[in-house]
Amino acid sequence: MKVCKSLFALCFSVLIVFLVVAPMASAAQDTGKKIVVGLSADFAPYEFRKNINGKDEIVGSDIEIAKRVAADMGAELQIQDIAFDSLLPALDSGRIDMIISGMTPTDERRQNVDFSDTYYISRQVIVTRAEDTTKFKTMESLKGAAIGVQRGSIQQDIAKGIEGAKLSPVDKVSDIMLQLESNRVDAAVMEGPVADGQVLNHPDLAITDIQIPDSDTPMAIAVQKGNTELLGQINKTLATLKANNEVDKFVNDAFKLNSGESTGETAEQIKDKPKPNIFQIFWDYRNYYWQGIQYTLFLSAMGVLFGFIIGLIVSLLRLSQISVFRWLAMTYIEILRGTPMLVQLLIIHYGIAQAFNINFTVLESGIITLSINSSAYLAEIFRAGIQGVDRGQTEAARSLGMSYGATMRHIIIPQAIKSVLPAIGNEFVVIIKESSIVSFIGVADLMFQAQAVRSITYSALSPLIIAAAIYFVMTFILSKLLGIVERRLSASDQR
Amino acid sequence: MINVKGLKKSYGKNEVLTGIDMDIAQGEVVVIIGPSGSGKSTFLRCLNLLEQPTAGEIHFENELITARKHDIDNTRKKMGMVFQHFNLFPHKTVLQNLTIAPIKVKKMNTNAANKIAEDLLHTVGLADKSKAYPSQLSGGQKQRIAIARALAMQPHVMLFDEPTSALDPEMVGEVLEVMQKLAHEGMTMVIVTHEMNFAREVGDRIIFMDAGQIVEQGTPEKVFGAPSHPRTQDFLSKVL
Repeated sequence: MKVCKSLFALCFSVLIVFLVVAPMASAAQDTGKKIVVGLSADFAPYEFRKNINGKDEIVGSDIEIAKRVAADMGAELQIQDIAFDSLLPALDSGRIDMIISGMTPTDERRQNVDFSDTYYISRQVIVTRAEDTTKFKTMESLKGAAIGVQRGSIQQDIAKGIEGAKLSPVDKVSDIMLQLESNRVDAAVMEGPVADGQVLNHPDLAITDIQIPDSDTPMAIAVQKGNTELLGQINKTLATLKANNEVDKFVNDAFKLNSGESTGETAEQIKDKPKPNIFQIFWDYRNYYWQGIQYTLFLSAMGVLFGFIIGLIVSLLRLSQISVFRWLAMTYIEILRGTPMLVQLLIIHYGIAQAFNINFTVLESGIITLSINSSAYLAEIFRAGIQGVDRGQTEAARSLGMSYGATMRHIIIPQAIKSVLPAIGNEFVVIIKESSIVSFIGVADLMFQAQAVRSITYSALSPLIIAAAIYFVMTFILSKLLGIVERRLSASDQR
Repeated sequence: MINVKGLKKSYGKNEVLTGIDMDIAQGEVVVIIGPSGSGKSTFLRCLNLLEQPTAGEIHFENELITARKHDIDNTRKKMGMVFQHFNLFPHKTVLQNLTIAPIKVKKMNTNAANKIAEDLLHTVGLADKSKAYPSQLSGGQKQRIAIARALAMQPHVMLFDEPTSALDPEMVGEVLEVMQKLAHEGMTMVIVTHEMNFAREVGDRIIFMDAGQIVEQGTPEKVFGAPSHPRTQDFLSKVL
């Protein structure tokens, strides 16, 4: 009982602290008309994150367009930052109303969504290391080269057309930069303005003279298939924008905003500016990391708390005399342990939304995934703990007239939990690290924030190293704290 | 008080009890002796259904406790049991070990349960250990606590399963002393033991079991003094 109580007290105090501290995403749900735009905010100048007056904001030409669309509809604009290749499932499942993310209408995409009129046509370029620009002068010279692209992008399709090219698709544009700088790829196919911004901040990289044939790529807004009403409204707004040449202006402004020219610096000055070191990046973006830490800890605490409760129930079913329960619990455990957590996350977030029309928020999906995933592991830990308690304990309790339930609750489970406490603590540590996958669906956890800092600073590596250091500090402190709790609990074992 | 008829117990093909009939009267102290593997512990554990009998009937206070629908938890409240390996709850203090069942099963309030527990601790001579944890006690102390724990439920009968077998020799005395006191107070007791002198002293009736059967029974004077069956004679000649 005492073990149980203090453990729950611990869990709840952690919980309450973060309930108070954590900035809940699901706060303030207003009643007015609302339009949700999905985009992958690492695609400057179309959409990117920028620290404006100390506040993290998503800006870019696509955002300006989105604002117009929303204004014309008289709706409030809400932006969701999602990995590029998760945008289509997000739209499909109705989590977002439209995608404005520099997306090119391809036939393949048209099968799943409807596209608006083209609002901008961009060019594609090949980026390589500065010293290699002489090597790559024509498309033919790229034959057999290793090429970096953003996964699921139109650039990936272009790269596929290069003979013998070895494609290396990654999630983030900053990852492509990292691949180039670390010699993992020879060249990268990128959107022209995106490449301009990157090259400006990476003096060791350059844009080649290669002209990619038929590479003019139109951009359009995607809506759910059959949503003609919304599509009509969007096209009307786009027509006005195009008539006034406003999209070009948006792109130009955004490029300047991104490259820093809007602050009065010239391209030369930016190139010569010393790159911030890792400590400076950490200090400048500490708010990002602090927010990320809160989300990560909140998610992990919730994951372990619910995982603990569900896991305990599943382990009891697993040990039940009734074979149906045993079978159910075993299936639950095996399936959850035998499939990757990322797959579980995507199924819960997108699959359930599609199949049952239940739309969890990203935070809810994250918590549910972490909870059920850890519950499967904790269930097996608990089972081992329960089975490890001497049979004589059950016999003694039952001989005193205690029921099976009371025996479990008061005698067996407290002893079992105490003996598996190190394993539970270990699971908590694991969860803190593994929670980083929720950034995939757009939960603003530590990993997500690190990615944001990467795309803002054009520094591909340092923000990740900072995140790694923070993860380490968190898990290290946690293991130490758990060690103290363990020692307290084992006080009754002293001879 | 307890009436056993045709009790059988097998594990797979191995028949451990081959048909036992026994009646135990109110206030009687029955001591069961016999070689290892004779089924005496199994028999004792069948009395409160820690082992489910394969066949036969057990009546306790005129209730058929082997009936399918019988609420065994209710019966176990009235049958205390003491184990060879004490089985104290290691995560609870001595006092909590004594009070948990009265509080959780009998829904007694904490003060009343504490009162009973403290009186019992006094009786077994361990009043000063109420706040200790089992791991801080010696074997003899543990077993005295285990007896007190069973008594805290105010049972009508006490079952002892080799209560001194796991103890160092110098600690056997203190446990037997407590049991003797209990017998003198008129408690109905069924004891499985290897302590022959103790059996002779406190037993109203001695039962000698071998190979899953009752071979011989009677007063201590008769069984120890003039055993009639050759197997009893053989066993006693080895242990006495």
